[in-house]
Amino acid sequence: MRFARRVSQIFFLSLFVFLFIKTTFPFNASIPHDIFLRSDPLVALVTMLTTRQFIFRIFAAGFLLVILSLILGRFFCGWVCPMGTIIDAGDRLFSRERAETRPSYRKHRLWKYSLLVIVLIAALFSVQLIWFLDPLSLLTRSFTISLYPLLAIFAEAIFNLLLKLGAFEDALFSLYGAMRGTILPLAPLLFSRSILILIVFAGILLLGRVTRRYWCRYLCPLGALYGVFSAFRFVRRRTTDDCIDCGRCYKECKMDAIASDFRSYSHHECIECMTCVHICPTNALKYTTGIKPRGDGIDFSRRRFVFSGATALLAVGATKTALVDKSSSGAVIRPPGSVSEDEFLDRCIRCHQCIKVCSTMGRYLQPAWLESGWEGIWTPLGNARHGYCEYDCNLCGMVCPTDAIHELTVSEKQATPMGTAYFDKSRCIPWYKNEDCLVCEEHCPISDKAIKFEVRRVTKPDGREHDVKYPYVDEDLCIGCGICVTKCPLEAKAGIFVNSTGQKRWADEDAVDALDFYR
Amino acid sequence: MDRREFIKKSLQAGAASLAMMTMKVPLINSAERTSTVAVARNGSPDDMVEKAVEMLGGIARFVGKGDTVVIKPNIGWARRPEQAANTNPEVVAAIVRLCKSAGAGKIKVFDNTCNEAKRCYVMSGIQKAAESAGADVSYMFPQKFKKTDIPNGKILKSWHFYKDALDADAFINVPIVKHHSLSRMTMGMKNIMGILGENRGKIHNQFDQKLADINTVVKPTLTILDAVNVLMRNGPVGGNVNDVQSFNTIVAGVDPVAVDSYGASFFDLKGMDLGFLRKAHAMGLGEIDLSHVKVKEFNLSG
Repeated sequence: MRFARRVSQIFFLSLFVFLFIKTTFPFNASIPHDIFLRSDPLVALVTMLTTRQFIFRIFAAGFLLVILSLILGRFFCGWVCPMGTIIDAGDRLFSRERAETRPSYRKHRLWKYSLLVIVLIAALFSVQLIWFLDPLSLLTRSFTISLYPLLAIFAEAIFNLLLKLGAFEDALFSLYGAMRGTILPLAPLLFSRSILILIVFAGILLLGRVTRRYWCRYLCPLGALYGVFSAFRFVRRRTTDDCIDCGRCYKECKMDAIASDFRSYSHHECIECMTCVHICPTNALKYTTGIKPRGDGIDFSRRRFVFSGATALLAVGATKTALVDKSSSGAVIRPPGSVSEDEFLDRCIRCHQCIKVCSTMGRYLQPAWLESGWEGIWTPLGNARHGYCEYDCNLCGMVCPTDAIHELTVSEKQATPMGTAYFDKSRCIPWYKNEDCLVCEEHCPISDKAIKFEVRRVTKPDGREHDVKYPYVDEDLCIGCGICVTKCPLEAKAGIFVNSTGQKRWADEDAVDALDFYR
Repeated sequence: MDRREFIKKSLQAGAASLAMMTMKVPLINSAERTSTVAVARNGSPDDMVEKAVEMLGGIARFVGKGDTVVIKPNIGWARRPEQAANTNPEVVAAIVRLCKSAGAGKIKVFDNTCNEAKRCYVMSGIQKAAESAGADVSYMFPQKFKKTDIPNGKILKSWHFYKDALDADAFINVPIVKHHSLSRMTMGMKNIMGILGENRGKIHNQFDQKLADINTVVKPTLTILDAVNVLMRNGPVGGNVNDVQSFNTIVAGVDPVAVDSYGASFFDLKGMDLGFLRKAHAMGLGEIDLSHVKVKEFNLSG
């Protein structure tokens, strides 16, 4: 059974990686790219609380998993969760000699339930906190922003090194060429503050030095949710009279789920990894079915609940009462099809699937910092200086698991402005030094062009007259895709910029944006 | 400036330009440099390409057995073939087959795209067409750009060029005729920008001379101009099929300036109307005046 569990873990991790790599152009819509995120009941629960809407797209699979965990317990954590599998692998790498977990750590298990309560109470006040903690969102984000870019950089470095050796040049180029654009990105992927996302991910792995599965035992709110539903599990461990009290299972348990009598164990913590069954020298452990609720329950005190609630309210206060300066929110260029800003922040779980699928070109969608306030950290923002929104692309809306970005058809998307371009006449080449350039107009994908120009005759300092083409924006046509900004040949700041003016959000006509009322 | 000085200066200027013109006349008239432009009309892309090359003496004149051939279409944009922003995929495939028939070794097809490369290669239809015709279609490698001197450049003294294009035994430039606001039109000379690296946007300032400078480095073995469908407005990206006009024509030649100069006629212009051609001509890159060019025409439907 332990072997079966390992096969299952490897299968689901491979599936996760496969779907991740497939989240790109050319896009096969029949592959469920976001299935891991969509079958996450915590994401579903929180998003439905923050938005007060029933969202079938994310509800169905998660609901099924919850029903399954009523029967099987936290099998998801042990058999399916790709984060769990990576932590298992990390534990083998990082963990010290398998020391007995200190008994004092046991009470830390409650941390994850506290985090769950904080997240749920905050969700009641329409504050989305799950983005930071949900393991599947966290993992997808870490892959997109840190691990995959690292892989690309390493691959390129190795390629360059081999190239330096001078031999087999053609073969090297064919090999690397076959990998580029298929399993590797075409160009290096660069993201703002990518290190922060890597630090969180690496930190979780390094916690394996404290105890194995540290994250799963003490912190993971999804694990906590499954733990709550596992109280009634019908499939359960039974210790027969063959037990010789050797205590190996107690020592080896990844989750520290087995009690010191070596017989009872916590229904909420066991992840069915089958290690105990496998290592028991007398085969005294069986997995059987039973109906009567058993186990230790979750010792979640009222005091702990009040404290968690207060923490949640602090988070609500910190996010909802902070002023978001309009001059910085002008940079809030959301992917086309995004819902209104308030609802976007309710829905976006920062899984960064949109960033992954967009990064075919790379760099346009970037994780935000404080442009849209504390509530908007790591939400996707368009940064046109380094990349732009491909005119013919609608993929971000097709991979968003929570519909923060509505799925648009290509023609709908082309008619959905993300903002408007403005010339900075103190920098733009024709405007500041009376010479032709027009690179922005060349690249403008709208026909008729949203960047037009006017020819004026100017006299140069040497007395010669010549015609110069001066570009300007037709704001009725501009959709703010930003290619003009990306391609502007100036060093540093471009001679043109896009801000959120005229940005059209996908809207449910009946929805009222509370903040809009005051703006 | 008084009148005497004005007359003096004018005469000086006149004499100087006259001297320059007389200096160039023997170059143009020398029999060796007489350019030929072949024009094939109203056939399938395959037939027109074959006919045009045949009128120039046949593909064997340009591609030898085992040669490494680079075919450089315009794959710059994430547009579909009917939008005529990229070279017609059938034209590219026809040239690949023609080179194959001449016994070419490796045939490489690539372009430094403006939109995302994968989208351009796929949406243009060129990757599929060229690969099934037997070419090696690859995304350009940053490692293959090398800084190259432009000894005859007037403004640009060096730039990053793509090694494969410079090293090829035969380099066949396959542009599409399109509208372009800065240069009025884009054809063969502008298509050379697809083998450049670095910040290519910087070329657009004092564009005409810089483009001519670039073209002193890369001299195509053959230029085959795709005028099957021509983007008349909103170029070079286009998008609107109503901006596309069908001319069903292929123009080919060895002299890149003469080919582009002929291409100007699709916009009812002359070579002299295009600044980059004037500069290229002035640098001796080719013949701009079609009255000095032997134009061979063939109508495949007639």
